[in-house]
Amino acid sequence: MKLLKPTWVNHNGKPIFSVDIHPDGTKFATGGQGQDSGKVVIWNMSPVLQEDDEKDENIPKMLCQMDNHLACVNCVRWSNSGMYLASGGDDKLIMVWKRATYIGPSTVFGSSGKLANVEQWRCVSILRSHSGDVMDVAWSPHDAWLASCSVDNTVVIWNAVKFPEILATLRGHSGLVKGLTWDPVGKYIASQADDRSLKVWRTLDWQLETSITKPFDECGGTTHVLRLSWSPDGHYLVSAHAMNNSGPTAQIIEREGWKTNMDFVGHRKAVTVVKFNPKIFKKKQKNGSSAKPSCPYCCCAVGSKDRSLSVWLTCLKRPLVVIHELFDKSIMDISWTLNGLGILVCSMDGSVAFLDFSQDELGDPLSEEEKSRIHQSTYGKSLAIMTEAQLSTAVIENPEMLKYQRRQQQQQLDHKSASARETSSATSVAGVVNGESLEDIRKNLLKKQVETRTADGRRRITPLCIAQLDTGDFSTAFFNSIPLSGSLAGTMLSSHSNPQLLPLDSSTPNSFGASKPSTEPVATAGARPAGDTVSKDSVNATSTPAASSPSVLTTPSKIEPMKAFDSRFTERSKATPGAPALTSVTPTTVERDVHRQVVVVKEESLHSILAGSDMTVSQILLTQHGIPVMNLSDGKAYCFNPSLSTWNLVSDKQDSLAQCADFRSSLPPQDAMLCSGPLAIVQGRASTSGRQAARLFSVPHVVQQETTLAYLENQVAAALTLQSSHEYRHWLLLYARYLVNEGFEYRLREICKDLLGPVHYSTGSQWESTVVGLRKRELLKELLPVIGQNLRFQRLFTECQEQLDILRDK
Amino acid sequence: MAKVSVLNVAVLENPSPFHSPFRFEISFECSEALAEDLEWKIIYVGSAESEEFDQILDSVLVGPVPAGRHMFIFQADAPNPSLIPETDAVGVTVVLITCTYHGQEFIRVGYYVNNEYPNPELRENPPLKPDFSQLQRNILASNPRVTRFHINWDNNTDSLEAVENQDPALGCGLPLSCAPIKGLGLPGCIPGLLPENSMDCI
Repeated sequence: MKLLKPTWVNHNGKPIFSVDIHPDGTKFATGGQGQDSGKVVIWNMSPVLQEDDEKDENIPKMLCQMDNHLACVNCVRWSNSGMYLASGGDDKLIMVWKRATYIGPSTVFGSSGKLANVEQWRCVSILRSHSGDVMDVAWSPHDAWLASCSVDNTVVIWNAVKFPEILATLRGHSGLVKGLTWDPVGKYIASQADDRSLKVWRTLDWQLETSITKPFDECGGTTHVLRLSWSPDGHYLVSAHAMNNSGPTAQIIEREGWKTNMDFVGHRKAVTVVKFNPKIFKKKQKNGSSAKPSCPYCCCAVGSKDRSLSVWLTCLKRPLVVIHELFDKSIMDISWTLNGLGILVCSMDGSVAFLDFSQDELGDPLSEEEKSRIHQSTYGKSLAIMTEAQLSTAVIENPEMLKYQRRQQQQQLDHKSASARETSSATSVAGVVNGESLEDIRKNLLKKQVETRTADGRRRITPLCIAQLDTGDFSTAFFNSIPLSGSLAGTMLSSHSNPQLLPLDSSTPNSFGASKPSTEPVATAGARPAGDTVSKDSVNATSTPAASSPSVLTTPSKIEPMKAFDSRFTERSKATPGAPALTSVTPTTVERDVHRQVVVVKEESLHSILAGSDMTVSQILLTQHGIPVMNLSDGKAYCFNPSLSTWNLVSDKQDSLAQCADFRSSLPPQDAMLCSGPLAIVQGRASTSGRQAARLFSVPHVVQQETTLAYLENQVAAALTLQSSHEYRHWLLLYARYLVNEGFEYRLREICKDLLGPVHYSTGSQWESTVVGLRKRELLKELLPVIGQNLRFQRLFTECQEQLDILRDK
Repeated sequence: MAKVSVLNVAVLENPSPFHSPFRFEISFECSEALAEDLEWKIIYVGSAESEEFDQILDSVLVGPVPAGRHMFIFQADAPNPSLIPETDAVGVTVVLITCTYHGQEFIRVGYYVNNEYPNPELRENPPLKPDFSQLQRNILASNPRVTRFHINWDNNTDSLEAVENQDPALGCGLPLSCAPIKGLGLPGCIPGLLPENSMDCI
């Protein structure tokens, strides 16, 4: 056995709370304290394993440093596939990281050291739910779930496929939950807490299976963490800190009956962490000996507050090895390499140690197939092998569905290979953008830089895009940043060639019935660009002198200039938001539809909408179909529904629904929100915050779904009111896609029923075959492939298909 | 989690005469498309004594900002010499680049600036009234002081804290302002109440 304490692995002297080795064995992550924040660092494994690599200066030791956590990081765990890293900290957040490829230099700007990041890891998801420090996170054996436990006495199970969806919150502990472990078969999850209990929960229904308290009777909450561990063969669960006759032990709990007969004795202070070797071993077969069937056994490492480490084999009554005084402070975390022959241990004193075992010492590891065979023979089907969706066992009943499923898979494969090609070409490009090198761009940038003026005369620069983000979750960027979604209402309106919206000057005298309406668009009369929608932006941020500057500066004596300037570096300026724009108000309006020469709105009172607030009418428009739309200064837009003679709210800038709605996943891949039309224009630049809302909001997933549905339904209705067929179709498809993705069958059925109409002729049916000029059944045909993507709706799909066929044959 | 992080600020044409415009080439990364523009400002600190002598050299909107890495050049005219107190004109001062989103400042990059006479004679015997045409400005580009503030990138109100991204080896220690720091146990402050809170914690 070899022992190494690599000195370069440190957090600048601060404690390291967690360590985890990547499944492929090439790197490991540490989590702990940073400067005023938490720190996660990813290190290269080879300098730890081989001395030559350690000495070689070309081989980087630190691969990436992430300072995003606001407070100390308590736990870092790689997913079993190695794709993700989850980190949980005192800031109550769990961050999920994914590797990103990129081009260009990557020093952390502002840090004085030469902190170059060799690899780039990006936070793809922030999980918010806990109301207290997150102490431990654990990935389930098949990576479908991520469990986290916290000092708020709960354990939260996250859906790892669909972050940040929460599957369950396990409440039952009455004390700080400090450790988690999954059953390797996937049937249970165990947690240990300061309430002197170890609870085992069933994954089937997320209910409590058993609570074990006897071994912990004499325990106090003396440790920072209580990391427990389940053996890879599933037979044993070993707890952290337990007491037996006033001596600290690690309790061994047997799976059958949760019996607590044995424990690991020997440590002189509380056991903080227990970690099983991921491999199951069998005794080394000596050459020439008879083929004695040897019982497989497991290997377990125990670390304690007494700063010593012990390694046990379950077939031996005494530890394999005990190392005393390995550190200056308590051991916090242990991680085995996947081949089972190495351990990394970290401690509160801020250092790590690596132990290297040989096979002679531990035994012959069993291969993965042998391990799953053991699982199968003991437990039946193991979750670790099974795929997670119950639907994957659904039988496809319709050949059409099969076609769509195949096509979808093909598309995914194409997409994956395309993106793989892109990333490989992207990395080879390194520094060349659009044919020019970064140097040339830099030289010419000032000349080429796109500068415009905003409505209130401020300079506005369009930044040059030099690289796109690449984790695949983000919208694509264009060079010179062409806006993606509907441009500012103002700029659209000022172009004369655009016949879609005709602004009417609201100050034109409102005489009705008299003069002939002119046939040319009124737009030419100095259309004012709509400045109201960007009022939020025109922040006149003047830094008003602080009422009381930091007390140090008021002392009369001359201070060292450096110290005095420090506060300027770290103090924020105060920004005063500009006042919202106001325009004159006319409570009644008359609008004339210029093309059709019909007085559409006659002296309609706006009191119903304007009543009781400071809003003013900022703009009046007329769509192509002659529907008047009115923009108010508070961001709302109303359109006049002639059949009902009412004003319908079409868009609201402050609509919280729009901000909560997250239908990003339902967007068709090619079409990135490029839908133009009156609705898009009226709503101005679409609030893209909604698209990433799912990650940023802490609303429960169900509420998120409801708000998204409500928002999409509103959009469909708005498009309908505006009589914009193109957009109606767009939003209807989006809505249907969202329903399919989220599995709302009832509403989907309703839509299909409405679009289908009566198949057989029936008198007295009020069904109209067209809506806003589109044939409903055509729409239904377009919807079918969307429905076909979700196996769950195959019955619905088959029904609609058959009905359409009947209609076609008639 | 900040949507925008500054990757690099390159100081162009440095050192340069006092009156020449400031030119910074700023590269930043945006994790997702922003609904509003970013507002960047260059502030020249006339004197360490008081913020009264700060001059906002320029303020510019940058947008629209899609996801990805971007770069732009921020050019601003030199400060107005008449607004700088005579005693502080020659010597070390500070220039700040700040960026705000939705009116909330989320990053502040500061550089020390040294104004001195390149001419040895003038250096020995500096005139009582500083001669700005002879002054050379040298920005200490190798040592940017970056302070990040956590802001709310969406539309609800949220709490804010300061994170200074610097190691203490430079001997500057804790920031002198009483912005809430983790560990003091202060709840997050709303901007504008900052001065009052600083009184409280003393």
